[in-house]
Amino acid sequence: MPRAPQALEALLRDLGPQLRRGGAGDEVPPRLATGRPPIDALLGGGFPRGRLSEVAGPPSSGRTSLALALLAEVTRRGEVLAVVDAADAFDPASAESAGVALERVLWVRPRPPAGTPALRCAERLLEARGFALVLLDLAAAPPPRIAPAAWPRLARAAAAGGTALLALSGGRLAGSAAELALELRPARAHFIGSPVLLEGLEAEAFLVRGRSQAPHGAPSALLRTRAA
Amino acid sequence: MRVACLRVSDLPLAAELRAHPERMGLPLAIAAGPGPRAELVALSREAVQRGVRRGGSVAHARAVCPELQVRIASPALEVGARAALLDAALACSPRAALAPRRAGAWAGEAAVFADASGVGPLFRSEPGFAAALVARAERLGLPADAAVASSRNAALLAARQLGLRSASPRCAPQLAARRASAPGPAPLPGRAGGSGEVLVLAPGSEAEFLAPLPLDLLDPSDALAQAFTRFGLRRVGELLALPRRELGLRLGREAQALAARARGEEVETPLPVPEPAALAEALDLEFPLDLLEPLGFALQGLLSRLLERLEARHLACGELRLELALEGGGRAARRIGVAAPTLDRRVLLRLVVRCLEASPPAAPVTGASLETEGIPLERNQLDLFRPAGPSPAALGRTLNELEALCGSGRVGAPRVADDHRPEAFALVPFRPGAGEPSPPPGRAGPAASLALRALRPPVPAAVQLRGGLPARVRSAVANGRVLAAAGPWRTSGGWWSRESRFAYDSFDVQTSDGTLARLRFDHRAGRWEIDAIYD
Repeated sequence: MPRAPQALEALLRDLGPQLRRGGAGDEVPPRLATGRPPIDALLGGGFPRGRLSEVAGPPSSGRTSLALALLAEVTRRGEVLAVVDAADAFDPASAESAGVALERVLWVRPRPPAGTPALRCAERLLEARGFALVLLDLAAAPPPRIAPAAWPRLARAAAAGGTALLALSGGRLAGSAAELALELRPARAHFIGSPVLLEGLEAEAFLVRGRSQAPHGAPSALLRTRAA
Repeated sequence: MRVACLRVSDLPLAAELRAHPERMGLPLAIAAGPGPRAELVALSREAVQRGVRRGGSVAHARAVCPELQVRIASPALEVGARAALLDAALACSPRAALAPRRAGAWAGEAAVFADASGVGPLFRSEPGFAAALVARAERLGLPADAAVASSRNAALLAARQLGLRSASPRCAPQLAARRASAPGPAPLPGRAGGSGEVLVLAPGSEAEFLAPLPLDLLDPSDALAQAFTRFGLRRVGELLALPRRELGLRLGREAQALAARARGEEVETPLPVPEPAALAEALDLEFPLDLLEPLGFALQGLLSRLLERLEARHLACGELRLELALEGGGRAARRIGVAAPTLDRRVLLRLVVRCLEASPPAAPVTGASLETEGIPLERNQLDLFRPAGPSPAALGRTLNELEALCGSGRVGAPRVADDHRPEAFALVPFRPGAGEPSPPPGRAGPAASLALRALRPPVPAAVQLRGGLPARVRSAVANGRVLAAAGPWRTSGGWWSRESRFAYDSFDVQTSDGTLARLRFDHRAGRWEIDAIYD
């Protein structure tokens, strides 16, 4: 209905400054940059501290590469982070190649079935405070079962401690509890040379929740990865 | 030199009540062995009041007091109680040593000597020091008396006299309530917080104190005691009044030695600073347990006593070693890793129970012991020039809770293993502030590094080859035609051992379902598998 947005604006004007919009409030949380300029531009500087964010996508869409780039940036600044690896897929060699300082990473490997234990581990880490980032890797096949009510609780715990909580998964799980959600779709894999080598992967990142900060409000950005 | 003696007059009874405080206030007897003819070696006050006598048989005692509870003396509990007594002394003094075990009339006592020199600044006075010792012992479940004197022997005799003065064996019905309501530190010096008594003999007053005391306190042999009786000697003062040379000629060297000890003339070696040693607690079960829940309950008490001792020594619990005695004579040992030293009983118990759930004993359990190396609690000072991380206390608690949730060996900092196997990795204790971190490698340029997601364990795959390269793949993670493939690369190693040898031919493949996978042929297993996904 074309007049609805105008009516809403008028109502907000009439009610005055006493009315607060729903959401996180007026404060703009500081950001954790990924070190990938197109992605950081899309996210308005990076993933927000003290908030729940999601990165979702099918296998080989660049999710883990993006996550490791973020880990590298966080540890490069001297901060500590935790990886709750419900999928038991974290590869230390890959992480080190990506520039992650492994001594600043706490790797938590719940035993399968890891859904509920992983959430409990994430909550404990958020309650401990002091971690710049908690990465909750739920990108296992099949995905672990997570109660929908768990996500708002995690979001509140993240907000209370000022820790960025990033959920990695095959498909969106957190719903409206996530302030920001990025979906990755594989674009192209590059095999080159003779003998043939895998050079890298290109993926497209779509901001499906949250306001795009990219130039001209573009909703997507290209993520390029290079094989070590 | 000033020495304090902390003494428990009835160790078998005290050890039993320390392990089972719910039996306090009940008529309780400790028997030397099983069966109705076993001799009673220790009695609670309530049993004595009901007419039970030490030295009698179990059958006779039950006839006198039908509600009497009889327990067999447990060497495991007594060892733990003696060690706890030493811990109580070391909580107040850096030098302490257990008194040698006695036989005969004093076989049931346990005593520890603690250096009382220079206690003024910390405990205000020697009575305050003695009271602190008693309070510490009480917090560890041991009602004790304490005496301070200028020699070990005089202190021991004074402590014995205190024990004889009060009703014996002592049973403090309020002890359980006091333990439950006193979680804080030991009472301030100068205030007797325990149920025991304290006595301080001023320097030079030992002889005057000992003079009216019975000679039995000196613990003479039976033959010498009979000789004392023949000569009409009953008090220590009478013995000390005899000329030394004639005493030796008439009654022998033992009498001379007793007199020398009573005068404080015996040469005593300095009290040692004990070497760091593992702390252990043990128990014998009344009947074999084959269910985890009751076993967990028994282990909970064991763990509580161990943690109380650690706390008294200002130490935290590190790795736990659990040893189970099994029905039929077997033994089972378990090592339980602790991510960070802690005194959190709830977390430690969860770790122990999870370990037993993962690896249950092969037979019913008849006894158990828990041992740990006490580790000083970490005191990390945060670095001003590094971003703040979790506080050490919060981090320690969190690590232990995570380990309880995930299992032992699944929480820590990752490391790339020095190993040619592609799946090798290491997990080390997470200590973010320890040492200078290694500088991370530089960035990979304008593109992010292409990451691998490991598949643990590798996923089996069915592969069709064409021209030596994979042409079609069917698996749980990648399916379809192979659109592009790179490889093979041979990785092999561990040839010197049948168990560790490996040989893989690896390919990077892109399948028609869009998955980029690392596919390999395992020459040892003779099968295709996918060990990682590029993501």
